[in-house]
Amino acid sequence: MMNRKLIVMMAALCAALLISGCWNRRELNDIAIVAAIGIDKRENGYLVTIQAVDPGEVASRQSDSGRPPVTTYYATGGSVIEAIRKMTTITPRKPYFAHLRILVIGEEMARSGIADILDVFSRDQEARTDFYIVAANGQEAREVLNVLTPLEKIPAGKMYKSLEVTERSWAPTVAVQLDELLRNLVDKGRDPVLTGIQTWGHESAKSAGTNSDKMDAPLDLKYRGIGVLKGDKLIGWLNLIESKGFSDITNRLQSTVIETDCPSGGKMTLEIIRSRSKIKGRLKDGRPEIDVYTKAEANVAEVSCRMKLMELGSIAELERKAEDVMKSNAEQAVSKAKRLGSDIFGFGEAVHRANPRYWNRVKDDWDKHFKQIPVRLHIHVQIKRVGTVGDSFMLQMKKSSGIMSSP
Amino acid sequence: MAVETDAPVHKLYADLRDNLRQIEADMGKSGDIVLREVSIGTAGRYSMALVYTDGLADKTLINDHILEGLMNEPALVEEAVQNAPSSGSLIQALSRHALAVDSIDPVGDFETLYDRLLSGDAIILMDGQAEGLAAGTRAWKERGVTEPSVESVIRGPREAFSETLRTNTSLIRRRIKDRNLWIETRRIGRLTKTDVAVAYLKNVASEEIVEEVFSRLDRIDIDGILESAYIEEMIQDESVTPFPTVYNTERPDVVAAELLEGKVAILVDGTPIALVVPALFVSFIHASEDYYHRADVSTLVRILRYAGILIALFLPSLYIAITTFHQEMIPTTLLISLAQQREGTPFPAFIEAVTMEVAFEILREAGLRMPRTIGPAVSIVGTLVIGQAAVEAGIVSAAMVIVVSTTAIASFVFPSYSLANAFRMLRFLLMGLAASFGLVGLTVGVFFLIMHLCSLRSFGVPYMSPFAPWKPADQKDALFRLPIRRMFTRPSLIARQNRRRLRHAPRKR
Repeated sequence: MMNRKLIVMMAALCAALLISGCWNRRELNDIAIVAAIGIDKRENGYLVTIQAVDPGEVASRQSDSGRPPVTTYYATGGSVIEAIRKMTTITPRKPYFAHLRILVIGEEMARSGIADILDVFSRDQEARTDFYIVAANGQEAREVLNVLTPLEKIPAGKMYKSLEVTERSWAPTVAVQLDELLRNLVDKGRDPVLTGIQTWGHESAKSAGTNSDKMDAPLDLKYRGIGVLKGDKLIGWLNLIESKGFSDITNRLQSTVIETDCPSGGKMTLEIIRSRSKIKGRLKDGRPEIDVYTKAEANVAEVSCRMKLMELGSIAELERKAEDVMKSNAEQAVSKAKRLGSDIFGFGEAVHRANPRYWNRVKDDWDKHFKQIPVRLHIHVQIKRVGTVGDSFMLQMKKSSGIMSSP
Repeated sequence: MAVETDAPVHKLYADLRDNLRQIEADMGKSGDIVLREVSIGTAGRYSMALVYTDGLADKTLINDHILEGLMNEPALVEEAVQNAPSSGSLIQALSRHALAVDSIDPVGDFETLYDRLLSGDAIILMDGQAEGLAAGTRAWKERGVTEPSVESVIRGPREAFSETLRTNTSLIRRRIKDRNLWIETRRIGRLTKTDVAVAYLKNVASEEIVEEVFSRLDRIDIDGILESAYIEEMIQDESVTPFPTVYNTERPDVVAAELLEGKVAILVDGTPIALVVPALFVSFIHASEDYYHRADVSTLVRILRYAGILIALFLPSLYIAITTFHQEMIPTTLLISLAQQREGTPFPAFIEAVTMEVAFEILREAGLRMPRTIGPAVSIVGTLVIGQAAVEAGIVSAAMVIVVSTTAIASFVFPSYSLANAFRMLRFLLMGLAASFGLVGLTVGVFFLIMHLCSLRSFGVPYMSPFAPWKPADQKDALFRLPIRRMFTRPSLIARQNRRRLRHAPRKR
């Protein structure tokens, strides 16, 4: 009796195995790994460009056949996914999006609204949420994706890593992932931002293939500026100083470099090694107010003046100067955002946290209120270390031909 | 008197001639059965015959102690004759007075006679006596106690069982000198009449298990037992499973350790492999060396062994499942590297994996039978060169070769060969599941595997104890090994009596 049950069960199992086959099975050489995708605006829809990896060229030690490590394909379609499927008429394999690194949105596309194209990325099962989204600064996404980069075989990889590294050590860039972007689009108390990317170098050497042969690459990719969005449309860019200020206020600042003047002339550079900011909203006399508290630790990084660092009081002076610089950066960022009318810092969120009832009243035209909200910055910089030497060697140099006398 | 040519259950004849003729008729003219007729006593008035098997009997003993006394000292014989009435019969008297041999048993019928004769005893028959004697003269050439061939250790005894039952039981007795070590013998196999000894510690082993062992042994009805494997197959639990439920070993120290835990050992004459029941899953993963090194090292090595088992079982399946179904789980740079390797290869990953695994199994089997001189060379050639060549020819991808070799090496981590065999089969099954259904299939396979393992029993004891019925007290010797001082109880499901090993529970310092 028991044996019979067993046999029937085994037979059913085998039948199930044979009938269903193996769906979803893809061999590694049936997929085209898409590392970057770019979307531009066209008349009846979108132009989608994908950067697919050629594994044979990437992984081998010598790229013998002279083919570039990535290939770009593009197609137009009424919706993003239609364009992607249309691309299969050109691609030899089906595009595989699970390892997507970068989504580049062309400037024109961003200015006309990004909400429509983002749905497919959040809905599709294959796409994950760990890729970064950037906007092309003054260019089309297709141009950006067509650039081969030195040192990093897959340009999308370079874009990805570069963005992370810059955010960590230079500050005026933000690495935005899909979930954050969607959250900011939905949240009324905060407007989204996107880092800007552009090609940089000589226009003449644009075509793929010539770049990787030279040491000083004629064309490369560079991050520049932070794009401010209002709603889902790009409306403007923050410049370098404003971007730094933005990073500072939104607690994204991890490490950056601040240049200040020495008291007796000359320049001095400090390296911020740690920074934390808190935004506190408050309601005073029925009006919202914002206080931003920043605490930063810094090291003395580069000294190009004859200043006696080890004197008592000189460090404190430097700290004050650094605070001034940071404050000025932040103020410029705030005023630019107010001019553009977009609350990219999340002040609305802070007010919401402080007084939800008030927020419920004003949230629908927060942009108006945002333009007039007073923002006070409280910045405290503490210099921890001065590196491995105390006073610079320059102090002991002979006072000769005015090297250091420039103001 | 008519000579009977069949059914040797007949009693011995009083006439010597008849006996000898019967023997000749029953055994044919085998050249190694020697019949020696002598005349003993004063003036040789008594006729006697000595029957023994050349090659199985100790001729020195026969010559110096049986024949010497009987033939060269007639006074001894006459003394025996005079004492005949008090000893019962003449032949009994001879046994008591004239035969200087350490063991003598009476033989009354032909079956016993052949039994003893073919075991190496010397049969003494006397004219006029309807009873014979069997003198214990067993001796033959044996391999001797050598180093273990399969289960070698770095530290520990290097004695292994030999093919003679008596030698093996002595090796066990040397290690456990307690009177509670009971060794009972049975004869199994209608034609081979193999001696099988069952050893257990009376005051530790569970009575039910011992009874069960004997009852299963007695149920065996087969013409020949050539190796303990025959016994193993006939007494193991009925379930359909690739996993062994009887443990085997060629080391007496392992057997002694198992006996101390309350298990029952079965020794079979003619093979150095002893069986131990009941066998648990953990028995096949433990090595005797774990107890000969320090506890901390042993624990780490044991954990390493478990890791090796997981690798040996799951690595190819995981590789197939992830690279064909779940590419999103691989880090991008690794994915690109793997994709590059698969660029030129014609076969899907599953076919590649199966081909390489089968090739490896073939190499392994071939290596077993190769002459010792060229064996290692060919296996190195086989694996390295062929694997390398296959990769360069673009038939398989390099990653697959790595996976298969790692699996193969990890599979040598098993101390026990029988378990390794079970896993070899399972690996292919899991690869098939992984290739069809990805990780889902693999998970289902693992699920069924665990269910199956937990449902097994070995002589009534759950196979996966101490993991399956979770006994905290038994954990001290399962995944890790606690220092000896702390191992103060025996496994609770095996030893029903006499749980405590150490005198006192460990004191905290």
